[in-house]
Amino acid sequence: MRLSPFCKLAAVAGCAAILSFAATGTMPMGKAELKSAGALAFAPDGILLVGDSVGASILALDVNDRTPAAPGGSLEIKGVVDKLAAMLGTSADQIAIQDVVVNPISRNVYISVSRGKGPDAVPVILRADHSGKLTEVSLDNIGHRQVALADGPQDPKQRMETITQLKYVDGQVLVAGLSNEEFSSNLRSIPFPFQTAAKGSGIEIWHGSHGRFETNAPVRTFVPFEIDHKMNILAAYTCTPLVKIPMSELKPGSKVKGTTIAELGNRNKPLDMIVYTKGGKHYILMANSSRGVMKLTADNLETYQPITKQTEVTGVPYETIADLKGVMHLDKYDDSKALVLMGEGASLDLRTIPLP
Amino acid sequence: MFRKLVALLFVGAMCGAAQQAAIRMEGGVFRVTGWQAAAEPRDGWSSVFAVYAGEGDIPPVLGHYSVENGLLTFRPRFVLASGLHVRAVFHVPGQAAIEKIFDLPKAAALVSSTHVEHVYPSTGVLPANQLKFYLCFSAPMAQGEVWRHVRLLREDGSPVEVPFLEQELWDRENRRVTLLLDPGRIKRGLASLAEAGPALEVGKHYTLVIDRDWPDSRGAPLAEEFRKPFRVVEADRKPPQVTDWHITAPSAGVEAPLVIDFPKPLDYALLQHMLQVAGPGGPVAGAVAVDREETQWRFTPNQPWVAGQYRLVVETALEDLAGNHIGRPFDVDTFDKVTRTVTSPTVEAPFQIGVRGGVR
Repeated sequence: MRLSPFCKLAAVAGCAAILSFAATGTMPMGKAELKSAGALAFAPDGILLVGDSVGASILALDVNDRTPAAPGGSLEIKGVVDKLAAMLGTSADQIAIQDVVVNPISRNVYISVSRGKGPDAVPVILRADHSGKLTEVSLDNIGHRQVALADGPQDPKQRMETITQLKYVDGQVLVAGLSNEEFSSNLRSIPFPFQTAAKGSGIEIWHGSHGRFETNAPVRTFVPFEIDHKMNILAAYTCTPLVKIPMSELKPGSKVKGTTIAELGNRNKPLDMIVYTKGGKHYILMANSSRGVMKLTADNLETYQPITKQTEVTGVPYETIADLKGVMHLDKYDDSKALVLMGEGASLDLRTIPLP
Repeated sequence: MFRKLVALLFVGAMCGAAQQAAIRMEGGVFRVTGWQAAAEPRDGWSSVFAVYAGEGDIPPVLGHYSVENGLLTFRPRFVLASGLHVRAVFHVPGQAAIEKIFDLPKAAALVSSTHVEHVYPSTGVLPANQLKFYLCFSAPMAQGEVWRHVRLLREDGSPVEVPFLEQELWDRENRRVTLLLDPGRIKRGLASLAEAGPALEVGKHYTLVIDRDWPDSRGAPLAEEFRKPFRVVEADRKPPQVTDWHITAPSAGVEAPLVIDFPKPLDYALLQHMLQVAGPGGPVAGAVAVDREETQWRFTPNQPWVAGQYRLVVETALEDLAGNHIGRPFDVDTFDKVTRTVTSPTVEAPFQIGVRGGVR
């Protein structure tokens, strides 16, 4: 049976309405408490996940944003820091954009912002619609559920784990963090939808190098990716860029060693990764602190042998996208575009770009 | 039909009155006086009254509208910052816009008073595979500034390029920040170590410099620059062993501290909470002090010691300066058959509290 575009749209809208009922039915309404707003991600059904490093928790918010976007579209907000500062009644130097993420259903963009830079900084979540109009996501009365990552007040006062990345993958929310005290990995896996008081289980991630030395290695950023019909995460460690880890190995309490598939150079911090398909081929796009935006071939990753020898640049081939400089955050916008936060200093633009 | 009626009522209410309207700001709240607010226009109060923090293509200030005693009132979501150039615009359809500028007074000049209280490790001799520094400040600092204000200099004054993993790791009060030396330049067997070399070289002298112009959370620069000179010795790949520690136990009936001496410095932050004392009655509550350049841990109980058998319970996640854990080095050499890894979360060292005290 062939459906007209109108029927398809109606069917999608109907499904969205049913899913909307399902989501709001499981998430109690009320005031959502955030002590900080950092890493963002979307779970199914338009549920926004917010990493709260100061509050040591993950907040799932029903932002009630499930109207499917029309095909096409783009976004450009020039001078986004100045605009946010004006909205929040402060100067641009008191605004820090912590993360940006695209709602894959509506393609509205969500921004986590700190107003202020001291311990009294106020977290704010904002939404940019397709026209670039910015509005605040009010947390005063919203469907939400929160899970604590820490053990509670008995945790050492000064210890804090900065959440560097979180993603929904196959019924789990995976959370990568870096402690301000011990150097260890603790990729956390939390079943989703969140259950009350389910703080999730830690998974120790190890990294082997040169076939010899193993380190308990914190993961900084990661992205889910299917390799050989099996779900993996492609993860960037703090000490070397890219490894693959099968999701099937990420079991609570387990110890996992990632397989290095690319070393992309030193003095660099991987920031964000997305995967996409273009011309029938799969690619990874990775934003880095000092090595620009890299495009890696992601086909047949199962055929690459683990890197076991010291070489300057090895493994999966990549190219650096020359005209993408100063990219601080990256997310997939649609099948042909990425969303980037880019610029120099405080002058940052939020815009869509064609996938290279 | 209803909307048209509302719009007519709204326009009717404003006719003849907008010319007398004025905008006032009192206590950070904006009000339109001389104009009787009636029904809210179809596009909301923001369609007739908006406040902008600056000029140019900027969105209006976030806030809440209400009608109080007949006056249209706008309360900004946040208290507007000092020194802002604020523009309030009241514009009803068919009438000339009324605009009023409020240049908010600038904050009083800030006095620099915040300073670096201490940098850990305290010692001036560090292993080549040193992993962390903790910078402790006397007052909360501004985030997002670390990498502009911290430098690692060689003896000739030249900077070590990107020595740290550039991820800001603060405590909740913004008074302590952790600098991780790039683990890619410490861990053996990595391309980045071969390519860039280690950040710290054996036998060389370095200075960690914290610039004075690093702003605290008020925006005031530090009272003074801070410098920590140190010398680098051979890498330390030997995991700390509890059996190497010297335990000096006090006597029963006193509140004197239990003293643990280590043969080498351990991680300052982890020493605050990774050692516990358990006695005949269970966990012992007390205060921890770390001294002698992180080679001594002292524990003073809240209640006088009771004679009996005690245990020092140590989390194996405790690290030395190079990130070696109890019983496990930072990077485990899988070819080294002598390497033994400890997998339990804690290890214990027994000691006795006697009538006259004792030493293990």
